[in-house]
Amino acid sequence: MKKRLQFCVSMLMILFSTVAYGQYVNVSGVITSSEDELPLVGVSVVVKGTSKGTISDIDGKYSISAPEKSTLVFSFVGFASIEKVLDGRTTIDVMLKPGADLLNEVVVTGYGSQIKRELTGNIARLKGKDIENMPVTSVDQALQGKAAGVYVNSGGGKLGQAVTVRIRGNSSISASSQPLYVVDGTPVTTGDLGNYGGDTNPLADINPNDIESMEILKDASAGAIYGARAANGVVLITTKRGKSGKTSVSANFQTGTSEATKRVPFLNAAEFETFYRQAAGYRDKLANIDPKDPSSYTQSIFGKDGFLDYYSLGTYGTPNQVDVDWQEKIFRKAPMNQADVQISGGNDKTRFFISGQVLDQKGTLIGNELTRLSSRLNLDHKATDWLSLGLTMSLTRTDNKRLPDDNAFSNPLQAVALTPFTPFTDPTTGLPVGAPPGDVNIPLYYNPILSIDYAKYKATVYRNLANAYAQVNFSSKFLFRTELGMDILNQNEEGYFQSQTVRNQSRAANGIGVNYGTFVTNYNTNSYFNYLNTFGDHNVEFTAGMSYNQSQTLTNFTEGTGFPSDSYRKIASAATKSGGSSTETNFRFLSYFARGNYKLMDRYLLGVSARIDGSSRFGANSRYSFFPAVSLGWILTDENFLKNIKALSFLKLRASYGGTGNSEVGNFPQLGLVQGDAGYVGIAGQRPSQIGNPNLKWETTFQTDFGVDFGLFNNRLSGEIDYYEKQTTGLLLEVNVPATTGFTRQFRNVGALENKGFELVLNSQNFVGDFKWSTSFNVATNANKVTDIQGQIIEGGIRNMNRVVEGQPIGVFFTAQYAGVDPANGNALWYKNTKNADGSIDRTTVTNADYSKVERVVVGNPNPKFVGGLTNTFSYKGIDLTVFFNGVLGSDINFYGVGQYGSANGIYEDNQTKDQLNAWRPDNTITDVPEARYLRSNGSQPSSRYIYDGSYIRLRTLTLGYNLPKGLISKMKLEKLRVYLSAQNLATFTKYKGWDPEVNSDTFTSNFAQGNDFYTPPMPRTLLFGLNVTF
Amino acid sequence: MKKVQFIYSLAIASLLFFVSCADRLDVLPTQTIDEQVALSTSKDVEAFLVGTYDGLQGGSANGDTYAGGFQYTSELLADAGEIRFGGTFSNLLDIWNKAITTNNSTAEGQWVRAYSTINRCNNVLGALDKVTDTKKVRVEGEALFVRAALYFELARFYAKQWGDGDNAANPAVPLVLTPTRDISDKDSRPRNSVAEVYAQVITDMTKAEANLPVANGVYATKGAAAAMLARIYLQQGNYTAAAAAADRVIAGGKYKLVTPFANAFNTKLTGGGANPAEYVFAIQVNDQDGFNGMNTFFGTTIGAIPGTAGRGDMRIQPAHIALYEAADTIRSKFFIKPSASSTNVFTYKFLDRFGHVPVIRLSEMYLTRAEANFRQGTTVGATPVSDINTVRARVGLSPLTTLTLAGILKERKLELAFEGFTLHDIKRTKASVGTLAWNSDKLILPIPQREIDVNKSLKQNSGY
Repeated sequence: MKKRLQFCVSMLMILFSTVAYGQYVNVSGVITSSEDELPLVGVSVVVKGTSKGTISDIDGKYSISAPEKSTLVFSFVGFASIEKVLDGRTTIDVMLKPGADLLNEVVVTGYGSQIKRELTGNIARLKGKDIENMPVTSVDQALQGKAAGVYVNSGGGKLGQAVTVRIRGNSSISASSQPLYVVDGTPVTTGDLGNYGGDTNPLADINPNDIESMEILKDASAGAIYGARAANGVVLITTKRGKSGKTSVSANFQTGTSEATKRVPFLNAAEFETFYRQAAGYRDKLANIDPKDPSSYTQSIFGKDGFLDYYSLGTYGTPNQVDVDWQEKIFRKAPMNQADVQISGGNDKTRFFISGQVLDQKGTLIGNELTRLSSRLNLDHKATDWLSLGLTMSLTRTDNKRLPDDNAFSNPLQAVALTPFTPFTDPTTGLPVGAPPGDVNIPLYYNPILSIDYAKYKATVYRNLANAYAQVNFSSKFLFRTELGMDILNQNEEGYFQSQTVRNQSRAANGIGVNYGTFVTNYNTNSYFNYLNTFGDHNVEFTAGMSYNQSQTLTNFTEGTGFPSDSYRKIASAATKSGGSSTETNFRFLSYFARGNYKLMDRYLLGVSARIDGSSRFGANSRYSFFPAVSLGWILTDENFLKNIKALSFLKLRASYGGTGNSEVGNFPQLGLVQGDAGYVGIAGQRPSQIGNPNLKWETTFQTDFGVDFGLFNNRLSGEIDYYEKQTTGLLLEVNVPATTGFTRQFRNVGALENKGFELVLNSQNFVGDFKWSTSFNVATNANKVTDIQGQIIEGGIRNMNRVVEGQPIGVFFTAQYAGVDPANGNALWYKNTKNADGSIDRTTVTNADYSKVERVVVGNPNPKFVGGLTNTFSYKGIDLTVFFNGVLGSDINFYGVGQYGSANGIYEDNQTKDQLNAWRPDNTITDVPEARYLRSNGSQPSSRYIYDGSYIRLRTLTLGYNLPKGLISKMKLEKLRVYLSAQNLATFTKYKGWDPEVNSDTFTSNFAQGNDFYTPPMPRTLLFGLNVTF
Repeated sequence: MKKVQFIYSLAIASLLFFVSCADRLDVLPTQTIDEQVALSTSKDVEAFLVGTYDGLQGGSANGDTYAGGFQYTSELLADAGEIRFGGTFSNLLDIWNKAITTNNSTAEGQWVRAYSTINRCNNVLGALDKVTDTKKVRVEGEALFVRAALYFELARFYAKQWGDGDNAANPAVPLVLTPTRDISDKDSRPRNSVAEVYAQVITDMTKAEANLPVANGVYATKGAAAAMLARIYLQQGNYTAAAAAADRVIAGGKYKLVTPFANAFNTKLTGGGANPAEYVFAIQVNDQDGFNGMNTFFGTTIGAIPGTAGRGDMRIQPAHIALYEAADTIRSKFFIKPSASSTNVFTYKFLDRFGHVPVIRLSEMYLTRAEANFRQGTTVGATPVSDINTVRARVGLSPLTTLTLAGILKERKLELAFEGFTLHDIKRTKASVGTLAWNSDKLILPIPQREIDVNKSLKQNSGY
C-alpha cells in the first residue's frame, strides 16, 4: 500500500507539471538518506515545472534527461523535498533529510491510507520512534501528551492496570468512553478480564517497540468508517514491516530502577500520641469523664489494656516502644530490565520483520511484577505482479503478579493507616505482625504485608494477534484486499491465600485457592475494493467493503478450601472444592462501509464516507444503523493569490461533519433477563436480573470539525488548529428506577451531552544546522457538558460524590460545601446552600448536627480543562537530548477515599496525614482543620474539604543519548551504536497533596466516577540506562 | 494480469464480500435466560421461590435484610451505651450516633434488597397457575410468608410505630403486589399507610400460616408464619392475638429449646451446620452460599477457634454485661476477648462465619406469650411465670415465683440480646433510647435518597 502511494505521489507530481524547456542533458546521481547514509529506493525525481520524471532504483541511483537550465525536485515520502538547480552539472548526488516534510507523510485511515497533505479529517499520527523504549507497560500510556485532544490517565502505579484514554472528551455516561483499538486491521480485545481487584489492560500484551505508527482518528469523517464503534475515537496501530535491502539487526537493552514518585507524610509515633490525646480529651470533656477514669476515652486509647497497649504488643510506654513508618515498608526501589531484538530485511518479492522482547518490570509497591515475553513475525510477499500476500503475527506471554484493588485492606498502601506504635515484626514470633501464631487481630487493620508474604495472585496471559491478507491488483487503479484477523487471548489467573491471611480472606483458615480461566476469541474479516483514478484535473478514490467481527468470551472458575498445609497450593489438594463456575458471552458486528475521496486541481478536496452497522447487542427492531460523514478541504497555498507569499508554505482549510456510534454497553442490554444464580444453600434458584428494554438502540454522536493546517517559512514552523463540537444523543444510560419495582437500573436511550474544544499543534525546527533543535507542542481544551438526562440521578465514586448533573461536565463532584472551622469552638462548618423563600441561596453555615440539612452543590470537576504536551529535541553531532513535558490543567481530585479515614480529625484510630496536626485547638483557632474528636464526626463527612486541585505539569521523559561516531563503529562492523540515559516522571509540578495527581482509583471504573484517590499508589519515577546496537 | 485470472479473482473477492452473515447477529445469552421462558413450568416457579430465600440471604456481606441488616440496624439505632461501634462503616457509625443521613447506605441497601425480594415473591404469586396442584398451596404460602415478613420489617423501620398517631394517615411504604414486567410512570408509587401495610401483612401472613406445612425443611413453616404473626401482633399491642399465635408455635411441639445454650448459636461450629431445634426460622449460610451479616459486624477472628471471623466492629460494653444477674453464669459469660490483652469484648453469639442467622428462636415465643398473657391477665397455654422459668431454666437460672412486666421485658432483653429486638421493643413499650423518646424521628430510617430522587410521589420522613 505504502509503495503504491509513493508511486502515486510521484506520478501526480509528474502529471501536474506543465511547462517544458529546450536543450536536454543527461543527469544522474545517487540518493541517500541523511539518517543512515543508505541509498533510498523509489525517490521521485522530477524536472520542476514539467511532467518529466523518474524514480531511483534499488541502489538509490537515478538518471534523467532534463533541460540544461532546469531544476530537479527530489521528493520521497517521509523526507523533506530538495530542489537542485542543474547549473551545468551532470552528476548530482542528493542526501534527503527525514521527517522534515510532514505533509507528505502517509497516514493510515482505516481500510486504506492517505497523504497528510490531502487529509480532510482529523487524524493524529504518532510514529513508533516517539514511543519506543518508554518504560510503560502498555502502549496506551505512551499516548499521553503526544497527541492533541487525547487525554490519558494511567490511574496509578500498579503494573498492567487499565488506563483511561479519552479522545476529545467523554462522550458517554454509561457506555464505555474508551477508544476502539485496531491493530493491523483487527479490532482487538481491550476490556478488563481480571478477577482480582482493579481492571486489567489487555493492551499490555502488545510490545510497544513493534509499532510503526499509531493513528488516532478523532473527527467524524475519519471515524465514520468505523461507524458504531467510533464515537470515542479510534486508535489504529500499525506494526513494523520489513524493508527490502540488506538485512538489518537491531538490539536494544535497557536497565534501570523505579521508585514511587512521592510519599504523603503521616503522623509519627510522638505526633500520633499528641493528636489522639486531644481527640480523646475532647470526648471525655463532652461526656464529663475524668480522662484518668479507666472508662474514659483517653484511657481507652492510652491506658492499661487500652488501644495503644494492645496494638503496640505491650511496648507502648516502655523502652521497646517503636515508631514505624509503614509507608516505607510497602514501597521499594524496583528494578526494570528490557531486551529487544528486531531483524528486518527482504528483497523485491518478500520482506520480513522479526522481533522479540523480554521485559521484566517490578512494581514500586511490594509484590507487584510484570514480565512479558513477546515475539513477532511480519511477512509480506509479492506472489505475482498482481497478487500480494502477507501475515502479521505476534505471540506474547504476560505474567502479572497483581495487587488487589485500592479499596482492599490487602492493598499495600492501606498500611499508611496502621499505627506507628505497632512493631513491624512481632518479637515473640519473629514474623510480620499479625501472622499466626501471633495475634491475628493486630495491627489495627489487616496487615497487607501478610498478603505479600503469604499469598500470591498471578495472571498469565497468552496472546496471539494475527492478521493475514491477500491483495489482488486488478490493475494499477483497481484492487481488492481481504484480511482475516484473529485475536486470541487465553488468561489463567491463579491465587493462593495461606492461612496467615485469614483476617483478610476469612475463608482461608486452612488456605484458599482460586483459579480462573478466561478465553477470548475475536475474529475479524475485512474485505474491500479500492479504485483510484485521475481524469485530467479530477482525482477520485473509492473504497467499499464489508467487515464482520465476532467475539466470544468463555470463562471458568474453580475454588478450593481446606489444604493439608500451605505447601500444597493447587486445588487438587483442597479438601473442599468450594466454588466453581463457567460462563460464556458473545457479541457480533456486521458492517458495510464505503468511502469516496475526490480531489479537484490538487487543491479542492472532498471526502464522503458511510457505514452500516449491525450488532447483536440490540433488538431486532433497532439492529442496524447508518453512519454517514462528509468532509471538505481547500489547499489555499496552491491558489494563485497566495502563491507569492513566500513565508506561507502551506495553508489548508478543512471541515467535516458526520455521525458515529457507541455500542459498548456489554452484551444483551436490551433483554429482560432471569439469572439462575439465586440458589439457597445447595438448592437451585433463579431471580430476575435485568429489566428489558426492547427499544434500546445505539448512542449517536454527531461531530463537526473545522481545521486549519499551515506551514510557514518553508514548513520550518507548521501546525494545525481545530475546533470541534461533538453532540451525543440517545445516551445508552443505565438510569435509576424506583427500587420498589425490584430493579434499581434500566438501560434506556435517554439524554444528551456535548463536547466542544480547540486543539493546537505546533511543530518547529528552531535550529537546523549541526546543532538541531526542534519543538513539538500540542494543547487542547475540552468543555464537556451534560445537556439532558431527563432528571435522572446518576452518581458514583467515593461515597457517591461524583454525579452527572445537567448543565455540568460529566461526573462533577457534587457534595456539601465546606466552610472551614468555627474559630470559637473548632466545629466544622458547611454552607447551607438551601434556597430561601425569595429564591436566594442561604449562605449561612451549619455544624455537624445539621450536616444532613445542607444542599449539595457542584464543588469540583474531575475533567481537565487543558491537556497538552511539549517536546523539545536537541542534537549536536552524535548527542541528542529529548525533554518531554505533559500537562493536565483544571482537573480536580477527590481525596476523600483516604481523607475520610486519614484526614478525619481522629474519628477513628487510623493514622492521620500530617496536616491534621493543624487541627483547631484553643491555642490554634485560625485553621481549616476542625477540632480532633475521637469517634465523632467533625468535618469528616463528604464535602469540598477533600476536593483538591489536581492540575499538574510533569517532566514525563528526559532522554540523553549519544550515537558513537560512524568512523569508530564501522571498525566494529556496526551500523549504529547508541547509548542513552532516560528518566520517566522525573519531576512533577502540582499543588495536589496526595500521592499523585495522575490518579484514578481502580475501585471506581465508570465514566462518571473519575478523579478519585483511594490509597492509590503513585506512578513510578524510572531511571534507565540503555544501549542500542544495529548491524 | 490475464483476463482469466482477473475473472477468478473477482469471483472469489465477490464471494468473500457478499457472504451473508446477517443471521449471525441473533446471539442469545447463555448464563441468563429471557424472562419469557423463565416462568413457564412448575419447576421454574419453584426455582423462583428458592430465589426469594436467596433474596433474604442478602446481596452483600453486610447481609442486607434478615441475614443481619434488619437485626444490627435495630441494635445500633437503639443502643445507648451497651455497644461501642468501632468500625469504619460510616453508615453504621451514623446509625449508632443517631445521625443518619438520607443517603445512608444501610437504609438504602435494606430497602433495595427487600423490594428486589418482594418482586421475586410477586413473580411466584403471579405464576401460581403454572405450579403443580399438589405444591400450589405450599408455594403460595412460602411466597406470602417472605413478602409479608419483608413488608412488616419495612413498616417497622421506615414508618412511625403502630399507634403513634393515626395509623391510617401515617405513611409506611409503597405496597407492590404484582411482578414488574416493564417500568413506566405508574411505578412511581406513593407510600401506603401504616394501617394498609399492616393489614396486608396480616392477611398474607395469616394465609401463609394456613397454607404452610408443619415441617418444610429449612424453608418457612406453619410455625414460622405463626411466630411472625405473634411478632406482628405484639408490635401492634394486640396481646390477645399475639399470645394465641405464640401459643400455636409452642403447642405445635415441633421446636425445642436446646441445651447447652451455646448450641443455639454458631451452628456450623457447634452443630456442623444443622438447624438447632429451637430455630423456628433462620437464614441458612454455608461455605458456598450466603452471608452472615451478624458475623460480619458482631463477630471477630479468634485465633484459637478456626472458623471464626468478623470485622469486630461491635464492641460490647460493661454497661451491658452488668445487666445480667450474678447467677446468670451462662449468658453473662457468653462474651469473648480475641486475646487476653485485647481491649474489646464481643458477643459469643455470632462468631461463626458460616453459622445460620437466627430470625426466630423458640425462646422468643415463650417470652412473647408470657408478656402478652401478663398484660392481659390471661394464661393462654401457660402462666407467664412458667414461660419465663422455662427460658431461665435452660440457662441454669433458678425459677421465679413472682413476676413484673419489667422483669419479663428484662428477661426478653437478655435472652434475645443483639438479635435485633431492641429498637422495636423500645418503640412498642414506649421506652427511650438515651434521651430520645420512643417516637423520636431520629429512630426511624429515612426513605433512601435515591428513591426520593427517582420517585416524586414519595414523601420523606419528617426527621429528614
